[in-house]
Amino acid sequence: MSDTSTRDLTSSASQAGGTGAPMITMEDVDKYFGDFQALKDIDLVVGKQEVVVVIGPSGSGKSTMIRCINRLEKHDQGRIVVDGVEMSDDLRNIQEIRREVGMVFQSFNLFPHLTVLENVTLAPRQVRRWPKAKCEEVAMETLERVRIPEQAPKYPAQLSGGQQQRVAIARALAMQPKVMLFDEPTSALDPEMIKEVLDAMEELAESGMTMIVVTHEMGFARAVADRVVFMSDGQIVEVGTPEHFFTNPEEDRTKLFLSQIL
Amino acid sequence: MTQPVHADVETGAPLPEEPPPQVRLTPRQWMEQNLFGTWYDTVLTVVFGIGIGVVVFFGLRFILVTARWEIIRVGLTSLMVGLFPRPELWRVWVALFVIVLSIGFAVGGARRMVLAEEEDEAGSEAEGLGLRPRVDLWDLWRRLWPVLTFLAVILGFSESLQTALWLVLLLVGTYATYYIGSRLPRSAARYWLLAGLVGMVGAFGIVIWFGGVGWDQWGGLMLTLFLAVAAILLSFPLGVGAALGRRSSLPGISLVSVAYIELIRGVPLITLLLTGQLMLGLFFPRDVVPGLVVRSIIMLTLFTGAYVAEIVRGGLQGVPQGQYEAAQALGLSPTQMTRRIVLPQALRNVIPAMVGQFISLFKDTSLVSVIALTDLLRVARFQLPAQGDFAGQGLFAETMLFAGFVYWVFAYTMSRESQRLERRLGVGER
Repeated sequence: MSDTSTRDLTSSASQAGGTGAPMITMEDVDKYFGDFQALKDIDLVVGKQEVVVVIGPSGSGKSTMIRCINRLEKHDQGRIVVDGVEMSDDLRNIQEIRREVGMVFQSFNLFPHLTVLENVTLAPRQVRRWPKAKCEEVAMETLERVRIPEQAPKYPAQLSGGQQQRVAIARALAMQPKVMLFDEPTSALDPEMIKEVLDAMEELAESGMTMIVVTHEMGFARAVADRVVFMSDGQIVEVGTPEHFFTNPEEDRTKLFLSQIL
Repeated sequence: MTQPVHADVETGAPLPEEPPPQVRLTPRQWMEQNLFGTWYDTVLTVVFGIGIGVVVFFGLRFILVTARWEIIRVGLTSLMVGLFPRPELWRVWVALFVIVLSIGFAVGGARRMVLAEEEDEAGSEAEGLGLRPRVDLWDLWRRLWPVLTFLAVILGFSESLQTALWLVLLLVGTYATYYIGSRLPRSAARYWLLAGLVGMVGAFGIVIWFGGVGWDQWGGLMLTLFLAVAAILLSFPLGVGAALGRRSSLPGISLVSVAYIELIRGVPLITLLLTGQLMLGLFFPRDVVPGLVVRSIIMLTLFTGAYVAEIVRGGLQGVPQGQYEAAQALGLSPTQMTRRIVLPQALRNVIPAMVGQFISLFKDTSLVSVIALTDLLRVARFQLPAQGDFAGQGLFAETMLFAGFVYWVFAYTMSRESQRLERRLGVGER
């Protein structure tokens, strides 16, 4: 019973949300770590300008799923298509996809030996090959967007966690990607700094960025998400709008999870 | 007990935090506490005190009274340049001037760039000569006292007033170029490294080109420094390349790298040098066999490169996985990622180990004394004590003490400068 209903829901996932052609399509994706199956039959379509929030217990495969989108993990079966480009094993193809997909990590992963400005300008300079002046201009714009332009000459170690994560967001934005992936961006932050990062992400969503966010911040999901995806044991269990999801979940597993966290 | 008040009584504003009270001990109190605190402290103090006293007494007595330092005075030139043809010695002086002045300039320029970074952080725009802090003489002394002591000792042993004058001029000139270098505008000071390198190449050329003296005729400290610098400069890229090669996914490259590292590390340096002397010539076509100096440099480089490779490998393992992921997620190619993200972090973390290896290398150049190259040690151990009036008198203590002192000066300076570099780069902090 659960199989057919899951498939029904995910096919509704392919129609719901976004505008026009889908930005990301994951079809029948499986992923194994040795004998352990981390992803089972993942079907997900994310439309342009859509904000999808992925929630679920730890070990459910949420991070693995979004890491497959920019090939930080290699999927073993199925298709992944990003903005019309189908992912293959060819490095150039992968890099083409990575250019358009920005990622923000739980542990920030800023480059400690570079200043904030250098962190943000590195990729536009080396990958997009823009002239230095344009890189710095774009960098300062993104830093202003996350409200920390004055931190530009500092080193990451001199910043607070919330500031570092916002620099990480600016760094990803400076590449002007089409999609932004967030892997538990606030999980490593002190509570008083979570708000500033979520605010930056909310502003980003309102400006029309396509986003996939893995998070435990239910408030953010309720306020900002177009769709909420619940995963458990490597499968997508339920998908729906925030209203549907939080007030009227259908699957038992979803209800169990929500009862534990809300 | 009433709560201490941490606010100004009138305005109610909080008082600034006071630092914890510092206990200042008088010298006598310090001695009582640390040297004679318990009975076994006292025993140890007495025993070691006597031991140190004895060593110092006999040491000083030797150095100041019994030693026959004429051997150093007479042989100073040999110790410095070995069998270098004396009529061409002017080249060495000129080259020395060029090198030291350009190093002074380079160090000054580097300091200017450090100050520029601090200006950037503070957000100040001052670029003119106005806001610069005075060049701190005390700081320079603390940084360079071994080298200055070394120069003073040389001065003490030099036979001619001329030498003394040149050395003083050298010192003054270096300080002058340092001063100038640290006062340049940023646009010029940026090329400090280039200036230093050009100076070194120029000095090198002065000695070798235009009918000069090839390095096979160099000796003494000059040869020691040449071997060390050449091997350091060549072994660094070799070691980094081998470390990266070891991690390569191409089996050919990784096999060659592993074979190189593990074979060389299994062999003592002396055997490599002997191979260089006796066997390496066979690998070259008859007319192109390089001289013994070049062959020794090759061996020193191969030896050090293998150790550098393992040091770098350790550094590479210390770079967090997240750094690779962030670089990949941004779309950086593997080359870009290695060059701009991974290597800078890996190398920064292993500066202590790497400089330690280079210091070892500098001292290990003394092994070439066994293969008949006239380096500093050979002059001190074999040549000088057997020369002229000194033959058969066994004045080894004097010459070896002097040689030991010279090795120490350079090794200690390298060690201190590397610690400075670590502090500047924030190794272990960020």
